[in-house]
Amino acid sequence: MARIQLNNIQKRWGAVWGVRDVNLDIADEEFVVFLGPSGCGKTTTMRMIAGLEEPSEGEIVMDGEVMNDIDARDRDVAMVFQGYALYPNMTIYENIRFPLRMRGVPKEQHDALIRRAAGLVELVDYLDRKPSALSGGQRQRAALARAIVRQPHAFLMDEPLSNLDAKLRQHMRVQIKHIQRELKITTVYVTHDQIEAMTLADRIVIMDKGAIQQIGTPDEIYNDPANTFVANFIGAPPMNLIAGRMEQGSFTAPGVRVDGLPAKHDGKVTLGVRPEDCTVTADGGHLSGSVYGVEPTGDMTYLTIKADDKLIEVKAHRDYRADLNSDASVGFDPKRIYLFDTASGQRLR
Amino acid sequence: MASARKRSRGESLALRYAILGAWALFCLVPVLWFLSIGLRPRTEIITPQPIYFPTFSLDAWHMIWEDWPMGKYLRNSVLAIIGSVIIDLVLAIPAAYSLSRFEYKGRDDIGFYILSTRMMAPAIVAVPIFFLFRNFGLLDTIWALMLIYAAINLSFVTWIIRSYMLDIPKELEDAAKTDGAGELRILWEIIIPAILPGIITASVIAMIFAINEFLFTLLIASTPDAYTMSVALANFTGGSDGVIYNAIALVAFLAFLPVFLVVVLIQKHLSRGLTMGAVKG
Repeated sequence: MARIQLNNIQKRWGAVWGVRDVNLDIADEEFVVFLGPSGCGKTTTMRMIAGLEEPSEGEIVMDGEVMNDIDARDRDVAMVFQGYALYPNMTIYENIRFPLRMRGVPKEQHDALIRRAAGLVELVDYLDRKPSALSGGQRQRAALARAIVRQPHAFLMDEPLSNLDAKLRQHMRVQIKHIQRELKITTVYVTHDQIEAMTLADRIVIMDKGAIQQIGTPDEIYNDPANTFVANFIGAPPMNLIAGRMEQGSFTAPGVRVDGLPAKHDGKVTLGVRPEDCTVTADGGHLSGSVYGVEPTGDMTYLTIKADDKLIEVKAHRDYRADLNSDASVGFDPKRIYLFDTASGQRLR
Repeated sequence: MASARKRSRGESLALRYAILGAWALFCLVPVLWFLSIGLRPRTEIITPQPIYFPTFSLDAWHMIWEDWPMGKYLRNSVLAIIGSVIIDLVLAIPAAYSLSRFEYKGRDDIGFYILSTRMMAPAIVAVPIFFLFRNFGLLDTIWALMLIYAAINLSFVTWIIRSYMLDIPKELEDAAKTDGAGELRILWEIIIPAILPGIITASVIAMIFAINEFLFTLLIASTPDAYTMSVALANFTGGSDGVIYNAIALVAFLAFLPVFLVVVLIQKHLSRGLTMGAVKG
């Protein structure tokens, strides 16, 4: 329903930077997730799209129209908040009806629209209740129904699932993705949960300290990280990053030696390898150290190896067991080794 | 084991009732006492020995209704109080909204200035207020009482409502904005219903202050046209009859009763909790 462009968006409060130089083009019907740690500027960026915050510089464009001077109430975007933000004095029916009343939708259409929206989130039986009489998951669904009832140009969702328990979160995730695909509405979603980002997004925008670190599909973000921040932020456990030196295609760090790497990056280099691309070998692997921790989870075993003062995570076979402090050797998948410039953190290709 | 736990739970419940009962009695005894003074003959009020079972008498009741225009005083009180509370709410709600929600220079100073009007002794402004009302031709009118009560109470009514508004999550307003509501609509449909307990609390306290107000009422009201219950009490303390204690007690009880009934009727709303469920608990 809407293409959203952010052109050189900045947000400052005095000397404090909230958002720096954000450039992003969100296609019509796309599902974009802003992902980053607390305080990275993702919510501020979303609030600027909603019109709840004014950019210090830059342009917000929706379907070719510059939105900077247009009030939140006139932007025709619907927002779902982390704390639900249901109106406590109104029933769920009245809550869902509120945006219809505010936007002058003819009265005779209200009931059908409300029941359709409530149906999509399986809340038809709770319409006459007040928000205080609903559980967390039901309140979140009510907030979702209020957002979808009027078919807005875009959905903005600010960590909508962060107050729910893990099981409910998974269920709601599927529901949100299903509804977005069904209604074909451009969606911007803010989260600090990488699983939500990976599962929901068409594209992920990773932010840190107010700036975009990388924009890409979940596959690109995971398999082709642009810098150590992205590499370290995505993946559970995150990518192992080992600082060392490169000389003529050989990487060395205490307890680590990897040969046969591209010879063009001499000097201080950080080597990255994901835990699932590491395998425990009898000996003669790329890294040798001692077993620091063994954590069986049922479907796999997380193994932590200590090499010098570094802890390296390895995803091992579910049957793998080892004694603490016993010697261990780990091999890296040579096709899955990433190199980063240690000083700047940027990827070396 | 289970029965021991049951017994100790019963005992703790009984203890709670005993403490609450004692407290209720402590609060209620003065009220019942002056009611009993109001319903006994004058001869049984000041005696060398306490009278535990006084003679029931409606002397004071007949006196206040037949010899004095008590109905008129009561009506004046009610009109002045209700009027003043309405004026207070009309002014305080937008003021509190502004103080709690908008950022502007000097906002906190203005908030403090509003509250500081409560810090001076009312007698300081008594004479200027008298001349002010005289110049406006408002002396001895209910309108003047409404204005003066409203002025006295406006600062803390604003302050109480402001504190309730500060508790309303900002997300609620943001949600209403993105839903398409303007500022006035947000105030009317979202904020006011959510802070209703605060508005009721502030109104009840304003009513209590207004019904007890004496100094300015005495200054402004010079005939029964504008006398209120509090000034009427003073009518029973002078003259050839001396201090008529039973009439004073009965009028005091009648002045107490309406506020008491209002509090009982709305006590559910006096507690907070309306915002429960709006945002995560």
